[in-house]
Amino acid sequence: MARAPRNPAAPAAAAPRRLRSLGVPTRSTKPARTFTSAAIPIAFAGPEHRYARADLEIDGIFHGEASYEGRVFFNNPGADQQTAKTAENGYAGSFYIFGHGGCLGDPGHCDVHEHRREDYDFRPPHPLTPAKKRVTVTQALRDIASTAAEVTVTVVPVVTAANELCDTDNVFRCATMKLVTYNA
Amino acid sequence: MADLRIRLGVHNLSDAQVSAFRDSYRQMMAIADNRGYQYLAGLHGTPSWYCWHHQQNAHTAQSMQLFLPWHRAYLYNWEMAMRDRVPDVTLPWWDWTLRPPRQNGVPQIFSDRSVGGQPNPLASFRMNLPNTQPPLMRNTARQPGDPAELPSQADVDDALARTDWSDFTDKLEDIHDNVHGWVSGDMGVVGTAAFDPIFWSHHAMIDRIWWLWQTKNGNANISTELLDVVLAPFTFRVRDVLNPNDLGYDYAAAQSAIPVAGATGSAGAPAAGAAGGSG
Repeated sequence: MARAPRNPAAPAAAAPRRLRSLGVPTRSTKPARTFTSAAIPIAFAGPEHRYARADLEIDGIFHGEASYEGRVFFNNPGADQQTAKTAENGYAGSFYIFGHGGCLGDPGHCDVHEHRREDYDFRPPHPLTPAKKRVTVTQALRDIASTAAEVTVTVVPVVTAANELCDTDNVFRCATMKLVTYNA
Repeated sequence: MADLRIRLGVHNLSDAQVSAFRDSYRQMMAIADNRGYQYLAGLHGTPSWYCWHHQQNAHTAQSMQLFLPWHRAYLYNWEMAMRDRVPDVTLPWWDWTLRPPRQNGVPQIFSDRSVGGQPNPLASFRMNLPNTQPPLMRNTARQPGDPAELPSQADVDDALARTDWSDFTDKLEDIHDNVHGWVSGDMGVVGTAAFDPIFWSHHAMIDRIWWLWQTKNGNANISTELLDVVLAPFTFRVRDVLNPNDLGYDYAAAQSAIPVAGATGSAGAPAAGAAGGSG
């Protein structure tokens, strides 16, 4: 004799939720979009100036998705992922972003609303508060300043880890960028 | 007072030390509660997201650079959990500046797929996170880059030469970010990095470099505003983790016990000696 169901009035069980695990992050084979700034004057960095160090400061960097190396080139707007990292190509240095790998939470989990904080909100900042990076570019800036009056900054993102939640085209996003020189 | 725990270089571990290290991870991976690998690794990225990276300046003009102290507190708790399983084991550091023939990329103890006919617990971990969106229920994997692209000793020396705390921690974090991307795979993104067993030895290397910097530069450079920040979910404040010796550990390249029983002449204190190698 067949056993009676425990609760005959209960609706049929819902179909099990389809579980498809998020894939392994991989290096992207598709080149990401490069960024090139407008030209800025660099008279402050000319040979007549003495400075011990020059930094490119990049602020407000989005780091919620792919991880990547940001290769910085001066006066080489055509630089891409294949461009060798040499002084002849205007290579000035690299920075590295350890991305979060996309949002693994419910809708809104990765939205940063720091500007809406109340005065007495003492919780830690949102982990995706944008990042700041400094690239020391002393020699590259000296080289450029000895031959040119202006500089453009090109950032070539080379994706090192991205999953299907990551935009691998529009990878490098920032709010501000500046060159800072320091005397000894 | 008990001896300090000595964290050793992965490249110098004896067979017995590797075996104890593996055994601690194997046992932690078998525990599903808050003493186990899954829970503790999940504090970093998904599902708990406690980790600190970059400068986060929501409340103050002071840069909230907590990357180094937060991870020191994390490693302390991790190593304690290891020792709950295997007494006397310590967390070894992966020196990714080493080049062939000493090492070529991911050390073999982490890359061997199996050991003695069993899966190598240092190679991978099966994540079991059915409630993330989408779920994460698979083994961790890596896609390492060209070993020549790993940070070099010159990169580390560049960081160590920076005498300002803010400058130093930013530079060291950038090197750290580079290594995560170099390993790639799950180690390559914040959300899953701590589930990869090599994560912990990478961070021990970062913690060691900070300690090397501290021995030269002290802690006076760190903003006093940071000192009383609590490193949640742990109970430490920043000031509590500034000195590894206060947390009961130190770093060495290698350690080898020298038998003194039966030795001729007059022996001193009968403690096992610590012999630091050259790295």
